[in-house]
Amino acid sequence: MHKVFGSNFGLVVKLLFLSSFTALFTWMTYLAILKSEWAIAVALIVIIIAANYIYMSKKPVAGKFLLPGVVFLILFMIVPVIYTTYMSGFIYKAGNIITKEEAIHQIITNTGMQPDENNTTYDMVLGTVGSKYTAILTDQTSHQVYLGQDGIAKALSAGQYHLNADGIADSVPGFKAYDDNQLAAADQQISTTKESLGNNRYILAQDAQTAALFIQTLTYNAKTNTLLNPVDGTVYIDGGKGYFVNKDDATQRILPGWRQPTWFSNYTSIFTNSKLRDPFIRVFLWTFAFAFITVIMMFGVGLILAIALDKKIKFRNMYRALLILPYAMPSFMSILIWAGMLNRDYGSVNTLLGHHIDWLGQVWLARGAVLLVNLWLGFPYFYLISTGAIQALPADLEEAAAIDGASGPQIFWRIKLPLVLQILSPMLIASFAFNFNNFNLVYLLTRGGPTNVLGGETAGGTDLLITYAYKTAFATNDQNYGLASAISVVVFVIVGAISMWSLRRSRVLEDMR
Amino acid sequence: MSRHVSKRNPSSAWRHIFIIFMIFFALFPIYTVLLSSVNGSGALATASLWPRHIVFSNYTKLFNDASIPYLRWVVNSIVLASLNAVISVLIGIFASYAFSRLKFKGRKNSLRLLLLIQVFPNFLALAAIYVIMERIYNVYPHIGIGTTWGLLLVYLGGSMGANAWLLKGFLDSIPMELDEAAKIDGASPSQIFWLIFMPLTKPIIVVTTLLTFIGTFNEFVLASIFLQEVKARTVAVGLESFVGSDFGANWGAFAAGSVIAAIPLVTLFLSLQRYIVGGVAAGSVKG
Repeated sequence: MHKVFGSNFGLVVKLLFLSSFTALFTWMTYLAILKSEWAIAVALIVIIIAANYIYMSKKPVAGKFLLPGVVFLILFMIVPVIYTTYMSGFIYKAGNIITKEEAIHQIITNTGMQPDENNTTYDMVLGTVGSKYTAILTDQTSHQVYLGQDGIAKALSAGQYHLNADGIADSVPGFKAYDDNQLAAADQQISTTKESLGNNRYILAQDAQTAALFIQTLTYNAKTNTLLNPVDGTVYIDGGKGYFVNKDDATQRILPGWRQPTWFSNYTSIFTNSKLRDPFIRVFLWTFAFAFITVIMMFGVGLILAIALDKKIKFRNMYRALLILPYAMPSFMSILIWAGMLNRDYGSVNTLLGHHIDWLGQVWLARGAVLLVNLWLGFPYFYLISTGAIQALPADLEEAAAIDGASGPQIFWRIKLPLVLQILSPMLIASFAFNFNNFNLVYLLTRGGPTNVLGGETAGGTDLLITYAYKTAFATNDQNYGLASAISVVVFVIVGAISMWSLRRSRVLEDMR
Repeated sequence: MSRHVSKRNPSSAWRHIFIIFMIFFALFPIYTVLLSSVNGSGALATASLWPRHIVFSNYTKLFNDASIPYLRWVVNSIVLASLNAVISVLIGIFASYAFSRLKFKGRKNSLRLLLLIQVFPNFLALAAIYVIMERIYNVYPHIGIGTTWGLLLVYLGGSMGANAWLLKGFLDSIPMELDEAAKIDGASPSQIFWLIFMPLTKPIIVVTTLLTFIGTFNEFVLASIFLQEVKARTVAVGLESFVGSDFGANWGAFAAGSVIAAIPLVTLFLSLQRYIVGGVAAGSVKG
């Protein structure tokens, strides 16, 4: 036992690991700081300190074994859950993704910069005068030449500049043009080149050789938190819904918007906005019904099979091997296969039955199909655990009950079934929680459809809350992350409450060693 | 006892009838996919339930058609699933060792919390994960959204909750006397872990590794959000795209691809069946 890992060898390996880990993470922290991602940088620093402390000191032995798992758990499970809750308090959807500062910046530099009505463009030569960044601009139509320096474009008169063979001004006294290497490195400078002509007109660089004339049609006033169009005098106010809107006409929005804190409006809209409420309630009910019915079905069939195969009947081993095949198949594949089999026009189910039924096109048929396919996927597992439970029953149970005068059905319904249910209740509850969120089944089989039934934009007849949330966030033009997060939080609360309740009941928490 | 029962229940015909019906139910989809994989029409078992013209064009297409990087998908899936299985089982066994054998403050409460967390699939926080991984992408383009590594990180986030409880149950069943004896002999906690527990937990490690592998192989939601590029896809996302819009409902290629991908997995599952059934059944009794 002793000295298999000589203590020095162990220490060297540990130090090697720890120092390369620290080096890597320090470098990653540096990258995060470069991009001003403070949250990431702080998280990394905490991890570095925790790791070095835990693995270098003698004391927290448990921490040594727990740290890797805890780090992943916090970063990619707990943080997303907290962030989901945070996002659910915002108007957070396509068009309202960025912060307000970023939105104002974009409005001023992009939205509020209109090309002038003549689409005036300039040939541009970049370089320096002294050490000052300088752009020489030649109007392509009027051939007027400007000198752009310090954000101001100054008109030059003939003789103040040198024209090249193409009629483009390429030099002024003291001017040193950029060579190709300098131009290639000047991306940042070029993209921020903005020379004022006065009267809200600006010359903006388009690439390294051309520039164009723009009119600033929106300016931001931080004091009043408003946008002003200096050309026609329109005032835009913060409408409170993540957009600047026209003071006199709230339907006129300025894009882009920003993610606007709204506290609980995503939650309340689920219950007050009838376009959301009706589909939500129906999806909600179906999710419960589905999870409940499917567990009963799978358990029922699994149990009957376990009973049927409990006695030493002929072919038992062969039967067993064939029956658990659905459990061995990759489930995403099986679901897609079923989707094809249930197709109205060429599916093998209709061929087998000799009918022409649109299984996935009608609400109740589709719901039945979802249950049937899930039965196929799940009954082998329930067969296996039911077999285990039946075998765990005391062997003389049946005999004793028979001696006391119980009939066969009585023994089953009154004695065996309650005991089996008791043994399996943690698994039944876990299965309920799993199927409550059985995304793959519904999404791959029906996509939540048929869609027209519930009238909602995203909700369909077989949608579960989880697929509904997914579609709200990723499958519509709205990409409503805020609403999707609110739905996710509702699911968190429901599933969490059910699990807490059932764990209390099954005494897992009390019996824990 | 069994004789006693069979006397009272002379005919076991109902058992056979029910079982054979269920076997038919269990095998019908498998038969269908085999059939359509050798069917030239591109549909999932058309007019006939019997093979008429057996062709292998669906199979050859998977390997010859440049627009279908099927092999890449298989490799992607195997790499991702293996890495996730190995790393997350390691993480799980570390954690469960601490929970089963070491005394520390907050042990019971952390276990309770873990039990609660395990019922939340992490894709419930999908929108948040997406936004977070986008920000990570901005700093580290190799591990953010759109990358296999980023996807692996997200999978690993769920590893503690998924495996620690199952593994702890197994470790609890290893007698305490064993490590106490080793402790008296002067072994450190890490020596006890590596030299005593790792060899003893082999069966349960096999089961959890295999189940995690299969679970990752089957994962669709996160993979479809993360891996947009055709070449980066996993088999699950790739095969789905055959019957989704990308390749115009190509059921023949889908069926062939499914058969190829399923054979090793089903074989693996059936050959380790003894362990898996044992693990699943043991879990049911232990609760």
